[in-house]
This record gives sequence, C-alpha cells and structure tokens, in this order.
Amino acid sequence: MEPVADRELQAKLYLEKHQIMELLSQLTSFLLFARPKKPREYVISLLERLRVAKATHVAFPYFMDNSNIVSMFEMMDTAGRGCISFVQYKEALKNLGLCAADEVLNDDGHVITLDTFRDEVNKRMEKMWSMF
Amino acid sequence: MDATTAPHHIPPEMPQYGEDYHIFEMMQNMLEQLLIHQPEDPISFMITHLRRNNDNVPKVVILGPPASGKTTIAMWLCKHLNSNLITKESLLEREFSRLSLEAKNYYQVYKKIPNSILVGLVQERLNEDDCLRKGWILDGIPERREQALMIQTLGLAPKHVIVLNAPDTVLIERNVGKRIDPVTGEIYHTTFDWPPEPEIQNRLIQPEGISEIETAKKLLEYHRHIIRILPSYPKILKTISSDQPCVDVFYQALTYVQSGHRCNAPFTPKVLLCGPLGSGKKLQATLLAQKYGLVNISCGQLLKEAMAAKSSFGELIQPFFEKRMTVPDNIITKVLADRMEQQDCIQKGWVLHGFPRDLDQARMLNSMGYNPNRVFFLSVPLDSILERLTLRRTDPVTGERFHLMYKPPPTIEVQARLLQNPKDSEEYIKLQTDLFYRNSGDLEQYYDRAIIVNGDQDPYTVFEYIESGIINPLPRKVT
Repeated sequence: MEPVADRELQAKLYLEKHQIMELLSQLTSFLLFARPKKPREYVISLLERLRVAKATHVAFPYFMDNSNIVSMFEMMDTAGRGCISFVQYKEALKNLGLCAADEVLNDDGHVITLDTFRDEVNKRMEKMWSMF
Repeated sequence: MDATTAPHHIPPEMPQYGEDYHIFEMMQNMLEQLLIHQPEDPISFMITHLRRNNDNVPKVVILGPPASGKTTIAMWLCKHLNSNLITKESLLEREFSRLSLEAKNYYQVYKKIPNSILVGLVQERLNEDDCLRKGWILDGIPERREQALMIQTLGLAPKHVIVLNAPDTVLIERNVGKRIDPVTGEIYHTTFDWPPEPEIQNRLIQPEGISEIETAKKLLEYHRHIIRILPSYPKILKTISSDQPCVDVFYQALTYVQSGHRCNAPFTPKVLLCGPLGSGKKLQATLLAQKYGLVNISCGQLLKEAMAAKSSFGELIQPFFEKRMTVPDNIITKVLADRMEQQDCIQKGWVLHGFPRDLDQARMLNSMGYNPNRVFFLSVPLDSILERLTLRRTDPVTGERFHLMYKPPPTIEVQARLLQNPKDSEEYIKLQTDLFYRNSGDLEQYYDRAIIVNGDQDPYTVFEYIESGIINPLPRKVT
C-alpha cells in the first residue's frame, strides 16, 4: 500500500490540475443565484453546456453578462466621472473571484475606464472557464 | 465606504435554498467521488454522478458474533430498504466471475479465503450497477482489520456500521436451536422464532457447526478479530445489544441507518420550543441563545417591551393587557414580524417560544415566511409542572425569587415574608395546561418533523437533548 501522505499529495495535485474547487465554487454560485426547483438537473445542464463549449470553443456560460458589468462599474463610480480608482478595481476583481487576494496588479497610473474594466473581467472569466 | 468595501449582505433566500435542497451535501458527495476516482475527464464524470443520484442509498456494514442474529437483521433491513445483501457465501456463488471461481477452489482446499481475493470480490460486487443504484448491506464482512483497511483504500466506505453484541453464554445456548429453511434461506429458532406454517416446520434442517464446542471456538476467533476492526470506523459505529427480542434490535438498527451523520453544511438554526406552562421553555431558550448566539424571541417579552417602549404597537396592546385578555393574533404577528426581519435575527438565527399556541397561529407564522427548521415539544406531566410552579415564591423586600424545593430561602424570617404570585396558583396553572393540551395535538400534526423531548429532567440534560436535535440532521421517518 502506498504511504498515506503520497496519496494525499496526489489528490491535491489532481484538484489543482483540473481546477475542481473553482469549478464547484462557480457551480454553487450559479445554483444559489438561480435557485431552481430541481438543482441536480440545473447543474447537469450547466456541466453539459460547459462540455459543449469546451469542445467547440464557443459561448461559455458567463455568470455576469454585460449589463451586470456596467451596473457594477456605475455602483463604484459614484461621481459619474467615467473611471474608477485602482483600489476599487482591485477590490471588485477580488469580489468577483477573478483574482487572488495577493496577486499584484499593474498600477500603470492610468485610471480604469469602463472599457478596461469590462475587458479585464471578460478576459479573466474566459481564462478561468477554459481551464475547467 | 462604497459598494466594493461595504460588508456583503447575502440575501437570506440563498442560505435558505441551500438548506432546503441540501446543496452543500450534494457538492460534498460529488467532491468525495471525484477524489476517490480521480477521472481524467471530470466534467463527464460529474454529469454521470449527478444523473445517478445515489447520495442517499444505504451503505451498511453489519458485524457480530455467530448466533447474534446478524443475517436475520441484514435480511430484514435489505427487504425494508430495498437494497442488496452481500454475504461471503453470496460472493463465492457469483457467476461470470473469475475471482469467484478462484476463491471457491481455494476455499474447498483450505477452508478459508485470502484477504486480497475477498476484498477483490467485494470491490467487483459493489461496483456493479444494482449496488450503485440501490446501495448495499455487507453481512459479516470485513472479518479482519486488514480487510477493513483494504476496502477503505479502494474508496468503498460504509455510511453506517452496526455491531451486534450479546454475552457469550446466551449466544452458545441460542446457536444450539438454530434451524435453516433450505428453500428461502431464512433462519429460524426452536424456541424464539418458530415458523407458524407446518410446511416450513417440516423442511427445516439443522445447519452444521452449531454444537456448543464449535460455537465457543468460533466465538473465540470472533472476539480476537473484532477488537481490531472496531477502531477503523470511529464515527459511524453503533453497538446494539442483540440480547433482546428480534423486532427491537431491528427497530434500533433501522432508526440508526435512517439517521444522517453530522455534516459541515452552513446552518442557521431557527428553533421553535413548544410546551405547556412551566415546561422550561424560557430556560432552554436562554441557554441556547447564550451558547449558540441565537436571538431569543419570547413572545410575551416582546409584547411587554412594545408596551414599555410606548410604541404604536404598545398602545394597541395596552388595553388587552389591562383587561387581562389575550392579544389578538394579527397584532402579535405584526410585532413578531417586526422583530424577526431585523438583520441580526436573519443572520444569527432565532429561538422562539410562547408562539404559536394553536394551528391558526402556526399557519400564520408559516405564511410570514419564518418557518422553523427545528421544532421541539417539551413534554412534562402535570404533577411536575405543579411542583415546579406552585412552590415558587418571591421575597417582597429584596425581590429575590425562591423555590421551596429547588432553591429554598436561607433564613426563617425570609421564609415568613415570602409571597406567591397569583399566576402561580394551582387553578390558573391547570387552566393554562388544559388550554395548551387542547391545541397541542393540532400543532404536533402540523409540525410533523418535531422532536419530542422529555422535559421532566434536570435542565442540563434537557439542554443536551435539544442540542443534539439541532446539531444532527433531522432523521428520516421510520415507516
């Protein structure tokens, strides 16, 4: 029998390789947001869409669509100037689960506009879903 | 603070949904299966697992010495839960299995099966379709610690392990009377379990190996091995004494198998305590609120607070209190709703007592959307209630409260001046208790998953019962 520590390490590597925890977290978020009467069928449908999307590289089931991104931006941009500060941008990405708490983002001195924000969110979402 | 730095308020529908549909358990089971099998294509694996929907099938192991009634209990459980029974004999008799043939040949020569082959057979059987769909009950396997460990490393873990227990002398005596029906395979006994139909009686045969000496030998071997198997199943083990009638053993086993284990799912307790006057609701509510940080909502207290605060509700309630009439339901529900929709109630959970008192109030509580997820009925006989309440006294000088039996006053002069609250008079208590019992039948029917606790014990014992009722998942009903 292999030593226990070995198998535990193997299991951890497996989880990281297939990004299982992130996938489960996203599935649960979808589920709690939509609150369908038949949760199993709903999760099955999500997984099937994901499977199809992986095969054909098309239309990942995004959690936040464009209107949500715009509203979130407007919530942060209270003065209506059309841009948000870097700190707000980083907090928003953290809240969406799109960047790790200690990730260092480049603050290149320019303020973040709606377009930059939207592009960054979309880019990160796509990267995350393509890893599943 | 702007939208990104303000604390998150998760809308209460989300945790409620998660609780009702057991989302956490579903995800946890899926993760377990993923880790055990580690498939290359996790998405297809997850889809198959979800479609199968077998999170709640029984996975039981029954162990016990010879003549303890293992096989009988296992067969009855199987029939009741509609599951698959797996014994060593059934594994050896399997068709289309190379392993099974090998095992049979080995057994014929050496009279026992090597651990690895037995475990291999178990693995083959448990991965078959009907076991995956309907669950399994293992009778007498594992016999050795090595087998138990091997089965576990293959990822086949039981959810419940039952060990039957009885003194050796009883077992030896019992085994002498054992008889088997060769047609159905059911086990009967000459004294305890004699079949009523004469055709069955005529065809019963005596199995081999039931003499006293042989049983004693088998018992020795059993004791040697069981002591090493038990530590492998620390949290899921239950020992049942089989030195009692068969049906009692079966009932205990069935209730155990149908109860879930404590799980890590996030859970906001919403507890309802029901019981007649003097059953200890207020005390238990205070203890619960203190230990778990729940909000203690006492209906009477809320009304008095509203009056004291002279709020708009307070003015409505005052005339009723002055005339000593019960406050009408719609006012009470408004006051309650006011309290329960505040953030601390939603976040921390609550303990409610003093309401509802009858079926209409219960329905109103439900329609407001505040359904409790644990309901307890504290049952106390009338004599105990009278003892608890009629002996209460208050000292008018210091305001301290005493009880003539449980907390007597320290000196004679204090005792001389003690007064009794008119609400603690015998007639008043009897009236209130009657009122409660008239409505309690309806309430018990409405809250069908309520837990009935014996309130006639010291408060900390009752508290422990209530705690275990809250922490463990609600047991499924035994039909």
